[in-house]
Amino acid sequence: MDASTLTRQNAHTDTSPALPPRSAAASLGALLKKNPSLFTFVLILLVVVTVALINPAFFQLAVLFDIVRACTTLGLFALGVMIVLAAGGIDVSFAAIAALTMYSITKVVMTYFPETHIAVILLAGAAGGTALGVLNGLLVDWLKAPSLIVTIGTQYLYRGILLTFVGTVFFMNVPHAMDQFGKLALARHDTASGLHAVLPATVLVLVLASALTWWLLNKTLMGRAVYAVGGSLAIAERLGYKLRSVHLFVFGYAGFLSGLAGIVHVSSTRLANPFDLVGSELDVIAAVVLGGARITGGHGSVVGTLLGVLLVTLINNVLILAGVPSTWQKAIIGGFIVLAGAVFALRREK
Amino acid sequence: MSTHDTSRPDGAPAQEFLRLQGIHKRFAGVHALRGIDLTIHAGEIYHLLGENGCGKSTMIKIIAGAQPPSEGEIFIQGERVAELTPLASLSLGIETVYQDLSLLPNMSVAENVALSAQLVRHQGRLARLFDRGALNDTAARALRAVNLPATAAFLDTHVDELPIATRQLIAIARAIATSARMVIMDEPTTSLTQKEVDALVKVINGLRANGVAVLFVSHKLDECFAIGGQAIVFRDGEKVAQGPIQTFTKAQLGQLMTGKQLSEERYRVDAQLQKARLEVTALTRRAAFEDVSFTLHEGEILGITGLLDSGRNELALALAGVEPAHGGQIVLDGQRLSLRAPGDAITHGIGYVPEDRISEGLFLDKSIRDNIITTILRKMRGKFGALDAAACQRFSVDTVRQLQIATPDVDRPVQSLSGGNQQRVLIGRWLAINPRVLILHGPTVGVDVGSKDIIYRIIQDLAKQGMGVILISDDLPELLQNCDNLLLMKRGRIVRRFEVEGLSESDLAHDLVSEQSHEH
Repeated sequence: MDASTLTRQNAHTDTSPALPPRSAAASLGALLKKNPSLFTFVLILLVVVTVALINPAFFQLAVLFDIVRACTTLGLFALGVMIVLAAGGIDVSFAAIAALTMYSITKVVMTYFPETHIAVILLAGAAGGTALGVLNGLLVDWLKAPSLIVTIGTQYLYRGILLTFVGTVFFMNVPHAMDQFGKLALARHDTASGLHAVLPATVLVLVLASALTWWLLNKTLMGRAVYAVGGSLAIAERLGYKLRSVHLFVFGYAGFLSGLAGIVHVSSTRLANPFDLVGSELDVIAAVVLGGARITGGHGSVVGTLLGVLLVTLINNVLILAGVPSTWQKAIIGGFIVLAGAVFALRREK
Repeated sequence: MSTHDTSRPDGAPAQEFLRLQGIHKRFAGVHALRGIDLTIHAGEIYHLLGENGCGKSTMIKIIAGAQPPSEGEIFIQGERVAELTPLASLSLGIETVYQDLSLLPNMSVAENVALSAQLVRHQGRLARLFDRGALNDTAARALRAVNLPATAAFLDTHVDELPIATRQLIAIARAIATSARMVIMDEPTTSLTQKEVDALVKVINGLRANGVAVLFVSHKLDECFAIGGQAIVFRDGEKVAQGPIQTFTKAQLGQLMTGKQLSEERYRVDAQLQKARLEVTALTRRAAFEDVSFTLHEGEILGITGLLDSGRNELALALAGVEPAHGGQIVLDGQRLSLRAPGDAITHGIGYVPEDRISEGLFLDKSIRDNIITTILRKMRGKFGALDAAACQRFSVDTVRQLQIATPDVDRPVQSLSGGNQQRVLIGRWLAINPRVLILHGPTVGVDVGSKDIIYRIIQDLAKQGMGVILISDDLPELLQNCDNLLLMKRGRIVRRFEVEGLSESDLAHDLVSEQSHEH
């Protein structure tokens, strides 16, 4: 008799029909599979402990506030990229969307409506971003082209439109409402050295966006459809999911978050520079992948993504406290990504 | 005997669920379904039988809404359905379980079982709340109906962690969760053990008792007889018979499936086999095939057959260097070979014409010429290493003539050709390397009768020139008409060897489907 077939069959019939037998060694893998963000969490601990051991000055409120501030824009982008990845696509045009909306809106508000309320500005940013994102979704759906190619294309398109038609000069002064929004503090803390640290209110946008993203992914049929399409486009189509709706939704939603991110960015830096945000794409994708989303689709969570964002921000901002030269930060992120790739690849092997 | 009066065991007339009228389906160059009339009654089990390429899968895709028919009408519970989309088919109560089971590997058992039900309830609209509580309730109920545990841990398990038999039952649970009126199962038992098959049949009988119609597609005739119900036989896109399966014998069904080709001439005539060309000893690839030994002579046509899970496909891929063997040896004309990659096989003169010419073989949008010369680019080098355009042209025109490929010129894209002509382009490509051994995998799948004849004559010619040919096929008449010797594989092993001369198809068909294997 065929020995290999026999063992395979025994594995099916001798145990309970439902669950395959699981060895002790595999249980760690199973745990990681259920909670890929655990791995991200361990890396964060590793960075925090290392930095704190070398420089105890790390543990102060001012550093925490700095990190939170630095997380906000990256986090908004990352949530958008995560939801696109979960649906089996990828979006690299988010930074261009943010740049186009933030600069155009700042310019319009500065020139024509200097007294606009911040809520209206945020709404305008969200609407503009959504429109550009939906265009991505339409192109992906119509052309049946890989979303990487489509969004590389639209990324140049959006940036070209910005620099050609909107402007290349940056505004040193931003509208009053945005300026105020950027300065608004949730908490204040005066350090021993006489500096005062501020927890910016802009972080609320990230908090609300995270809650909304979590709700959409876990509490709506659209959220389930995102994972279904990411699991297998062909099977999801066969099961009756409308691919176009899902495509429009994920790219539109990523655009929505990018638009918000643009406004938040201008508000907190108090500067509208059309050349800003360029080049942040890979940092964002790195954060999302470190947060457990798979480049092949079907996976990704809000918590994991936020942890990934925290990890990348930590590396970018606090390693300097441990005396790590800034040129090494990229190498460490790179090392972590390769490590994450290896860990996630191993956990898939049975 | 197209429409058959079906009655339940208690004598009450069964209700009609699905009726197909005059269904035709044409693909580019292929007439896959030629006027199918079919009625499916509630609470009845059907077995759709036929050879590969007879139109079964196309039929299923049409009922599932995955492909529209080119012509014809579909009635469900007496009402005409204008357009059947996958979602419409689902919401009208038709659950199709394809061979891959249509399960989403990254989602939980509960979601795979019960998400479709929510999708159907909201008619595919996605801007709706997702009710996890209801999902778990529905899933638990459906899982219990197929005798799977309904524990929270199981509901939460990802489907890709489960064995195939469990997945099969989950797919059926999905049908129960969507209150399906008809379940279609495409070769559901191919990779199941006897015990698992029994469990499946029990569940199926439960469905049937609840008035659900079940349509099986299976090659295992023994199982069909054991399950009972109606047999529907397709051949070359037409329904050739329908009736209670017990009124047929296995031999009759075999004859109906294969049709008139039974009485056709044998292409192969008195070949003299002397010198060994390819000697394969104890070839093994884990979880695919084991201890495979055979000798192929110069000028011999050796057939290999078996069911889909028999390991025949993997054996072919190992000989072609695509999925290398893990153990054993391959000796070609006295020289021991190591085949680690397709390039190795090509270097040693082993050509492999794959089964799926669309995805594995041809560059559809490229010209006939480019497709033919792709294995011999190095030989076509002219000055400065560039391709010698004139030589390419000459060579491909010669091939087109030799293989009687019907095309006005070699510049046409391969996709403009019919299936049979495409197949010949593929064969031509491999002849270009002057193979010592040519492996043909399902060379006439989806090819019409006239083209089949030409391909068979080409194969005979090649063997006459001394080439060793391995013919891997499901098509029993094809094997009987063409081969000198025949190997039957089951569960990764060669279980029988036949001398084809004088062998009858019914003997062979019986051996192919019988459960007990004769050790050689």
